[in-house]
Amino acid sequence: MRRIIAQARKELTQIMRDRLALVLALLLPLILLFLLGFAISLTVTDLSMVVQDLDQTPLSRQYIDAFRSSLTFRVDPWAVSEQPWKALEDGTARGALIVPEHFEHDLQRGVAVEVQILIDASDANTANLMRGSMTAVSQSFLATVLPKGAGPPINAHERLWYNPGRESRKYVGPAVIGLGLMLFPSLLGALAMSREGEQKTILQVYASSISAHEFLLGKILAYFIVATAEWVLALVASYFLFGLRLAGDPSPLLVGTVLYLFTAVGFGIMVGAAIPNQAAAIQSVQILGFLASFMLSGFIFPVSNIPVGLRWISALVPARYYIELSRDAFLRGAGWPAIWYTHVMLAVLGSFFFFMSWRGMRRMQVEA
Amino acid sequence: MKDVLERAMGLRLWPLMAKELRQIRRNRRLVVSLILPPTVIIIIFGFALNPEVTGLRLGVVDMSRSTESRELVSAFGESRAFEVRGYYSSSDELGEGLSKGNLDIGLVIPRDFARKQERRQTADVQVLLDAVNTNTAQIAGGYAALIVRSLNEKIVKAPTPTTAAQPPSGQASLAAAPGHPGARAEPPNLPDGSMQITPDSQGAAASQQTAGSSGPPPAPAAGLVTQPPIAMNVNGLQMSRASIITRIALLFNPGLQNSWFIITGTLGILLVLNGSLVSAASMIKEKETGTIDQLLMTPATATEITVAKMAPLFVLLLGQIAVALVVGFLVFALPVRGSLVLFVFSGALCVLAGIGIGTTVATFTRSQQQAQLMAFFINPPISMLSGATYPIEGMPKWLQPVTLVNPVRHFSIIARGVMLKGVGIDVLYPHLLVLIGIAAVLIAISSWRFRKQLG
Repeated sequence: MRRIIAQARKELTQIMRDRLALVLALLLPLILLFLLGFAISLTVTDLSMVVQDLDQTPLSRQYIDAFRSSLTFRVDPWAVSEQPWKALEDGTARGALIVPEHFEHDLQRGVAVEVQILIDASDANTANLMRGSMTAVSQSFLATVLPKGAGPPINAHERLWYNPGRESRKYVGPAVIGLGLMLFPSLLGALAMSREGEQKTILQVYASSISAHEFLLGKILAYFIVATAEWVLALVASYFLFGLRLAGDPSPLLVGTVLYLFTAVGFGIMVGAAIPNQAAAIQSVQILGFLASFMLSGFIFPVSNIPVGLRWISALVPARYYIELSRDAFLRGAGWPAIWYTHVMLAVLGSFFFFMSWRGMRRMQVEA
Repeated sequence: MKDVLERAMGLRLWPLMAKELRQIRRNRRLVVSLILPPTVIIIIFGFALNPEVTGLRLGVVDMSRSTESRELVSAFGESRAFEVRGYYSSSDELGEGLSKGNLDIGLVIPRDFARKQERRQTADVQVLLDAVNTNTAQIAGGYAALIVRSLNEKIVKAPTPTTAAQPPSGQASLAAAPGHPGARAEPPNLPDGSMQITPDSQGAAASQQTAGSSGPPPAPAAGLVTQPPIAMNVNGLQMSRASIITRIALLFNPGLQNSWFIITGTLGILLVLNGSLVSAASMIKEKETGTIDQLLMTPATATEITVAKMAPLFVLLLGQIAVALVVGFLVFALPVRGSLVLFVFSGALCVLAGIGIGTTVATFTRSQQQAQLMAFFINPPISMLSGATYPIEGMPKWLQPVTLVNPVRHFSIIARGVMLKGVGIDVLYPHLLVLIGIAAVLIAISSWRFRKQLG
């Protein structure tokens, strides 16, 4: 135990002396949190749409005002002489609405009115949301214009649970923390380990009285401390930036974070032990750790959308389990009964990475 | 005189380029790393970043236990979006399933569901959505509303015998009962992209108008009595049968293929990022091994050295555009509706911008390791603040102008213009000009830094 602590102290001293690494460790996670938290938002507001009002009556203007007052759209008038799809072609607008002549007249007579809507579908997801939103606006407009209406046979009341305001930052926030904690602690671990291999200092370790697992645990402990500091910083930042609050029992989150940080550092050490070249180790962490955590963890789009052939890979991505458990802790608050398996999986993956780094280190010593 | 000078410079440039080419050829890892990761990334991004909602786990509380309620549940089950996972005896149990994450959506059918339908009253059902994932919840809500909507139409079109037996006046008073405003929580989407909105779906006049679209204008009250379902409007205003049919045309991508959007954006990110990484690496390699001093001792000028270094890399990186195009065609059936020349040209500008970033980074760092760590500061903003994978409108207002200096933003607009919209340079020239400007500025900065460092 004394030797583990000594090893950890040596590592921490090394980090403190390397300014770039220190900045990388503490500042970058915050920058990433900030960037991803603000840049990734799928619920969009202020989408520009052009409107051609061929009717020019109070009712048609009221209809257009309904779009204007919705947060989703920004309405720009469009000359009647111009073709509306021109606005979509050069990207000045994402949608176009054409209100036909006799709009008011037909509505008052009780005739069905056909309005034409064009949507730029090159961004499929936004187009899908726009389609729904434009229909909703038309519908509520009609409801306000018509004083009485008979109800439909079945009326579905929608209740949004856990995130009633549909704030996507609350969805992205916990996941970004998970992503940052996967990337930076493992990067530091990989750098430290591959440096030993690159500079052959691993031979000195071999010659000293410290054993392989003590050496590894010492390294992991050091970066675990750094990672915990990152986690606390990220939590404080997301408290203010995204308004994240714990939704229930904090113990699953605490235990899960400890396991996850051990797994993340262990992953980095494993990569570093396997690749005794710092530049190559960085690249591998970037591709294996970051990209896999970014794409295959349910970060934005659910894991169930990934094609079956690729989906099994996501079972090996630690970030997937941590994102799940932190979303539960911050939004759902179901606690242990719902997410115990994430802890089990994290523990399994963490031990696997530790075992692999132990083996990698043995090989490194033989080769050095 | 100038001509002669230029020719001399050209002569010296070629051997230097030959040296670089030979170095690249020997470095097989570089060639592989330029082709393999982009292919994998484009394929995985194209498949994985897919917002389409299918197979949502649905839990049902059916307190009505009637034919009508079973019909509603099976309507949900038949759609591709939902998958009935189980029945619960109370909404508390259902809520527990949702909170444990066993379910994504819950449907609660009240005890009086069938009875209310029989009496032609509005029967309320509850749809509970796990809104942790805002995007999925929003889309799922739309689908649920669509299912209810089309079931409503079916019920209205096929009036039950009891309805026919009931006197029209009785129905009218029921239907006009307050508390059932026409507005519903979510818009119903019809699969073909067109939808119809009516204040009262029970009004068969509306449905008929949807079907016919050019039916005769409805007659006043006398005509209504003859058609039982319309009888509900007896005491309503004539206007209450009005409806707005929104004919929605999804331009450029009617199948809503998100992969087309992702590929055109991701390619820009890859070109800039790879350009910067590869050029930084090859610059630093000369620095690390000290061979840059040997090169400087030769009569070649700093400009010649840089140009000779970057030209082969430039050509190599252009190969990525070809790789991305091939993957796009073969895997995702990406269309090309405009000029490929414009597309490749703007891609080349992206590569130049990337090379500019890379060589600038190289002048600030001493080792490969440092350069790669620097990349962590540069890459996330370039890829995130570009509108390449997420709409720029979703970002905070004050952050949006920052994206204007991002080459990836302009490239993805051009790429989508060419590939999906089929527009030409007459529409896209502002973005092309900005892209040229960005590339020129970045190259100028990098050569200034490079010369300063060598001087």
